[in-house]
Amino acid sequence: MSSRDDKVPKIMKQGRVAPWLYVAPALIVMSFFIVYPMVSTVLLSFRNADSTLPATAACIAGEPCWGIFENYRYALTSPIMLTAFRNNLLWILLMVSGTVAMGLLIAVLADRVRYERFAKAIIFLPMAISFVGAGVIWKFMYDYGSGKIQIGLLNAILKTVGVSAVSWLTQPGINNLALILVGIWMWTGFSMTILAAALRGVPTEIVEAARVDGATEWHVFWRIIVPVIMPTIAVVITTMVINVLKIFDIVYVMTGGNYGTEVIANRMYVEMYNSFQSGRATAIAVVLILVIIPAMIYNIRRFQEQEAIR
Amino acid sequence: MLNHRKFPVLLVMLLVISMVVTACGAKPTPVPTPVPAPTTAPVTQPTQPPAVQPTKAPAAGIDCMGAKAGDQISMLYQWSGAEEENLNKILKPLVDACGIVLAPESTRDQALLDTRVKAGTPPDVTFWNVTQLNQYKDLLKPLDTLGVHGANYAGYWQAIGTVGGQWLGLPVKADIKTIIWYSPVAFDAYGYKVPTTWAELDALVEKMVADGHVPWSMGMESGDATGWTGSDFIQDIMLVQKGPQYVDDLITGKAPYNDAGVKQAYETYGKWAKDPQYTVGGAKGTLSTGFLDAIYKVFADPAEAMLVKQSGFAGGAVKEKFPTLKYGSDYDFFGVPGAQGVQGGSDWMMMFSDKPAVKALVAYLSSDAGAAEWAKAGFDLSPNSKATAAYTDAALIKKGQILASAQGFTPDIGDTIPGGFGKAEWTAIVDFVNGADLDAALAAAAKVQAEATQ
Repeated sequence: MSSRDDKVPKIMKQGRVAPWLYVAPALIVMSFFIVYPMVSTVLLSFRNADSTLPATAACIAGEPCWGIFENYRYALTSPIMLTAFRNNLLWILLMVSGTVAMGLLIAVLADRVRYERFAKAIIFLPMAISFVGAGVIWKFMYDYGSGKIQIGLLNAILKTVGVSAVSWLTQPGINNLALILVGIWMWTGFSMTILAAALRGVPTEIVEAARVDGATEWHVFWRIIVPVIMPTIAVVITTMVINVLKIFDIVYVMTGGNYGTEVIANRMYVEMYNSFQSGRATAIAVVLILVIIPAMIYNIRRFQEQEAIR
Repeated sequence: MLNHRKFPVLLVMLLVISMVVTACGAKPTPVPTPVPAPTTAPVTQPTQPPAVQPTKAPAAGIDCMGAKAGDQISMLYQWSGAEEENLNKILKPLVDACGIVLAPESTRDQALLDTRVKAGTPPDVTFWNVTQLNQYKDLLKPLDTLGVHGANYAGYWQAIGTVGGQWLGLPVKADIKTIIWYSPVAFDAYGYKVPTTWAELDALVEKMVADGHVPWSMGMESGDATGWTGSDFIQDIMLVQKGPQYVDDLITGKAPYNDAGVKQAYETYGKWAKDPQYTVGGAKGTLSTGFLDAIYKVFADPAEAMLVKQSGFAGGAVKEKFPTLKYGSDYDFFGVPGAQGVQGGSDWMMMFSDKPAVKALVAYLSSDAGAAEWAKAGFDLSPNSKATAAYTDAALIKKGQILASAQGFTPDIGDTIPGGFGKAEWTAIVDFVNGADLDAALAAAAKVQAEATQ
């Protein structure tokens, strides 16, 4: 063994320093753009509105106070944040299931038609539009004309069939669903593309073997295809959960968080840039990170498992 | 053909991007830089040979206060383009008479002003908002020491500009929002008269409803700023029902935002804003009609409503949308009847220096001659009472009269109270119009007000 070692030129040997040199550029970039802002965010969340005093200074005598965690009291217990949490939960339930179900359905169906590429392109198109642009487009779709003319497509349709117009974006109960529908429209293409690729990876032998054994298409789908692509579905779900937790553009553009449609990320923006409450905004940001981390860990574990199989 | 196992790589990339996006949003703590203050701000700009005594006598009404030709005034203001030209036009007589050299800088960035002041190198003069008076109170030179013509300013203007017993800022420009736009043609056709008291306005509104017209167009949709149109309207109602002192008390926190007076104003507003008989589309129309569309509805053919309460910019909006309509006959405005004060925006001149050239500027702008020049330039209104008679633009003449007869001037409540009250106020209005309980909506806003004004 030792004789072989001697033949290796010294420069090729890996010392203790060399690995650090290799990862140094990445570490520097990471620490500047991820670690530093994150640490700074956490520190600011314990300061007051303009970061000049500890958060305790924001306490008002006679009202509940969490001391240095005062900003977290706002982030976790204020009525508007409770509304935001409730809405984000609704978004997760409906938008994640909606995008995954629609994406899978379209991926499976498009596989069987001649104009597959065209169909997929159409579904994927919304992903290419700026989110703000999509919000504006849908604002017109939902437009409620107070006068005699309805320029909103949905209300124009309602009018032709003789139903009175609905104020889609201001009516509590309807408006959240209207916004989530926009989210599904935008993100279905994403899950469709990934699921379609996974479908291609399903070995044709098993599918054909099942068909030979007399399985119906229904059985083939649920008993073979779905279990095989399950890891990919799981990844899509977790990615979508993370996306939905951070949902901002649609709400900001279409309702501004009014009418009971507030979400966590929009509140964070409002506190930071409209109200100049940097303590509260950063506390909300930290809460958001903490909520997202489990989904992220799950995703990375999946990734490592798949690497291990490979 | 793509192998599905490669896709997680793409996903991890997306995740990293998402993490970066989440991590952003932290504002670095502003660190005041303790730069030793130089005694003079040396801005080298040898455009004119210095130290030449003015040979000609100063023009009538302009006192150079001992300023020599070539003396410089560094200025920082937010105006640019046509606004800046207006200011130059107004200051030209002073510049010509005393040979003062203006060294202006234009920026919308308040941080620039803050940085200069903290660094000990403030401009000689800045034109900024009323809130800066309090912010820089320790550094500003009192107007009394600068040769101001105080008699030209109503008591309430001096009161707004006074911090800690000293008059620190000169109001130079104002725009008023307490006005209602209407179509004189339509008023003539239906025999309506411009109301002069709140009771007359109320009666006029009821008459319009009885005639089968919709009186108001109150749409206030404005993206994430939805609600500001309503907040202007409600503040005007308070000025009618309670007066300017009450609005000031709300701003300082002396009166809580869920006070009975606020509630009364909201109810007066809600009676109209939530009912399709009184406003286009009722509550839903108020919430979902854009504020510009709301203006157009009054002047479109056929008109959908008779009145729209909106600031001065509505005239420009109508002119642009309907180029054939004429101000004065097709569209015009009247002051909110019965308002005991007006609300609006104002620009203030603040002096960090008391050198002769600055004194000359203060003396000039507060003088009769300065007021006349300001009015002639048509750069909105001048709070200088001598300007009232000198406006040439029809709309400004009328606005000038409304301002002259006002007993107080209040800034926008929401804009003035810091710490997110503005957004909380809009939320209260939007929720109230959308059917939420008024007491709860006001209590939420009052909580933010209490936090901000404690």
